[in-house]
Amino acid sequence: MNVIQGTELKQMLQAAAQHLTNEKERVNDLNVFPVPDGDTGTNMALTITAAVKELDALETDSAAKVAAAVARGSLMGARGNSGVILSQFFRGFSDGLKGISQAGGIDIARALTKASQTTYRAVMKPVEGTMLTVGREAAEAAQAAAEDNQSALEVWNAALKVAKKTLADTPKMMPVLREAGVVDAGGDGLVCILEGALAGLKGEVAVETLTVPASAPPEERKEPAAVEREEGITRIDGQLVNHYCTEFLIKGQSFDIEAIRGRLEPEGDSMLVVGDEELVKVHIHTDHPGKVLEYCGTLGELTDIKIDNMKLQNESITTDDKTAEHEEPKGEPKPIGLVAVVPGAGLAEIFESLGVDVVVTGGQTMNPSTEELVAAVEQVHAHHVIVLPNNKNVIFSAQQARELVDFPVRVIPTRSVPQGIGALMKLDPEGSLEDNVSEMEDGMRQVLTGEVTYAVRATRAGDLQIEEEDIIGLVEGKITAAGGSVSEVTLGVLNRMVDEDSSVISLYTGENQDFSEAEQFAEVVTNTFPDCEVELYHGGQPLYYYIVSVE
Amino acid sequence: MAKIHVVTDSGGDLPKEVREQFNISVVPLSIQFGDDIYRDGVDMQVDEFYEKLRTGDVLPSTCQPSPADFVELYESIAEPGDSIISIHLSSKLSGTYQSAVLASSMLPDLDITALDTNSASIGIGLVAIAAAEALQQGKSKEEIVAVAETAIEELNVFFMVDTLEYLKRNGRIGRAQAMMGTLLNIKPILTLEEGIVAPFEKARGKAKALKRILEAVGEIQQKYPDRKFRFGITHAESLEDAERLEERVRDQFPVHDVFIGPIGPTIGVHVGPGTLAVLFYPV
Repeated sequence: MNVIQGTELKQMLQAAAQHLTNEKERVNDLNVFPVPDGDTGTNMALTITAAVKELDALETDSAAKVAAAVARGSLMGARGNSGVILSQFFRGFSDGLKGISQAGGIDIARALTKASQTTYRAVMKPVEGTMLTVGREAAEAAQAAAEDNQSALEVWNAALKVAKKTLADTPKMMPVLREAGVVDAGGDGLVCILEGALAGLKGEVAVETLTVPASAPPEERKEPAAVEREEGITRIDGQLVNHYCTEFLIKGQSFDIEAIRGRLEPEGDSMLVVGDEELVKVHIHTDHPGKVLEYCGTLGELTDIKIDNMKLQNESITTDDKTAEHEEPKGEPKPIGLVAVVPGAGLAEIFESLGVDVVVTGGQTMNPSTEELVAAVEQVHAHHVIVLPNNKNVIFSAQQARELVDFPVRVIPTRSVPQGIGALMKLDPEGSLEDNVSEMEDGMRQVLTGEVTYAVRATRAGDLQIEEEDIIGLVEGKITAAGGSVSEVTLGVLNRMVDEDSSVISLYTGENQDFSEAEQFAEVVTNTFPDCEVELYHGGQPLYYYIVSVE
Repeated sequence: MAKIHVVTDSGGDLPKEVREQFNISVVPLSIQFGDDIYRDGVDMQVDEFYEKLRTGDVLPSTCQPSPADFVELYESIAEPGDSIISIHLSSKLSGTYQSAVLASSMLPDLDITALDTNSASIGIGLVAIAAAEALQQGKSKEEIVAVAETAIEELNVFFMVDTLEYLKRNGRIGRAQAMMGTLLNIKPILTLEEGIVAPFEKARGKAKALKRILEAVGEIQQKYPDRKFRFGITHAESLEDAERLEERVRDQFPVHDVFIGPIGPTIGVHVGPGTLAVLFYPV
């Protein structure tokens, strides 16, 4: 095969998407960290799948047009940091083929070189031993083959061969890979793409049907990885407690707010009873919305009753929010609007109560795509929008989303839920965008984050020998405690975080964490750290028993 | 010889010994619990008030003194030809200042200057102390008024409430409305802007809120390099916190003097138990 035309390039990219989708679990398992999130394989597979979906309706035989369509599709479909880098790869690839309808070996080499250069420019501090290195060395090999006057197929073949070799060398370049005994996941994803594309070019695979839809419906968002790992969680007894979010107003006279509070307290958590003598607003998470309504009905007239099942809502909150928001009549745009990515229903409510306009559910198991973030940002009725990614793997796509909308958007690079809350403490709805950004970045830094989850595989972290399924605790993203019960590990994490200046400890429970057990645990924390105020909230995040913050 | 008198209202939260030391007269506002009306500091003392607030089932409200109340007080302390400087609660929060102005128009024989401090609690008290001090130094009425006006100009306030509900229920929440309704246990730090309650910042937990207040005080203090500061610290049933705050204020800032005392019923109705306030101006 001397040249690659549009039809062939389309076939190559579709085959690449297919191949990576088949391999994504294996790639997911290459995560350096044994934590059950940050799924590189899933992110890259969904990104390329969204990209090739652009090709379905494309009738062209121009390689340049195919590449441009894929570049466009991947930009919007990019999920997670690896997905964003991949989308930049396609952007560069498309640049390199500009105006080329039939690509020869030299064109392919130029496209791969441009692709690699674009990925290097996309990251602020390029790190060797990652997919960047794999892409660069592959492009160099392609260049050498092309200068040797080789055909497009031979050039691609040369690139793939070197890519595989470089991938195998990544542990030599990055100590963390060597320690974990894995190759770089993003690099492996890129190799899968090059490999699938070659098979497509050779016509070795049938690529009529793609198994993963570009934007997965809610059920499928719980991708196999997460479902599998559900097994790891079942050892926690009990279901999500208090999973009906119940809200209503009571109209009447001479209400005693304290008495209502006292009466409702035992019925649930996240309770809020506010108002005056004639109008009271009640908000509570409960397993017995009927009991709550019945009691309050004896006090006065109930209106504006809203009961949501947070357990189901948890999975479909993004779409729900969108429809709800569209129905609302819109007045004057706010000066500053807020979008936050949060991993659970309880956290979504907390962020909304702190003034966030649109909450995108995701982060821990599913990184939202650039397109989802663009949609969320556009949905906010404001002159300026501030985005809180609340996950290190979402920051990049949030920044990409920022460039795709035509009004000012700023991303506060919050790496965790507590950092997002810390940033929100400094929000001044009437202040300028710039003042808010600098204040919120300051607020973000005043909080320490701890996370408690379980290991998805055995590994070593410093002096800690970790077995698969062990409970592990992370402080600021580093594993610092392992083994023992959730409570023991959480206390271990807190011990590392609390110092003499600490004044508030917040605990956010995971979706399967029993809340009354958590309340008992909060007592233990209070007794262990008598100088701190301890606060417990239902977070509802998957996979993480507790997210904790110390400030 | 014509004399000059300093008057304030019960919203000024001046402890009795300070009022006596500086010879400051106080007009009480009234506290209304249902049908029962109590004059602040006359029929009802601080401890009694919080006890009733905690245990009672009605939400109290306040009632400004009538012009007649002012006339009565002014006539009881002054002779014809005397001057009175009458220093009061922010006119955006209470009609007290308005009553004082009306009363002054009813008493042509007295030279009454009513001042709107745009402040509350011991912020009013600090201005009254400034005026009384100037009076003791033998300054003229005009000079005393100028001293008081400068103090009003340079007065700052930061306060932390346990809950925004009291401010909300009494319609005094002002621009802090936006801080309502959060699910987290947040201590709102508030200030007064042109006499209206305004949000300053949110803090998680009391310790952090107090730390932020001290930082905010520090930022303002830097603007007056060579000046010492007069502080007022008031608290609603939080004496220990107030004392700790005083200690830190004395540690961190150039202090001229510190007045510390409880938040009385007049202000307590609107802010609720657990409130801590720091008010200060450069002397």
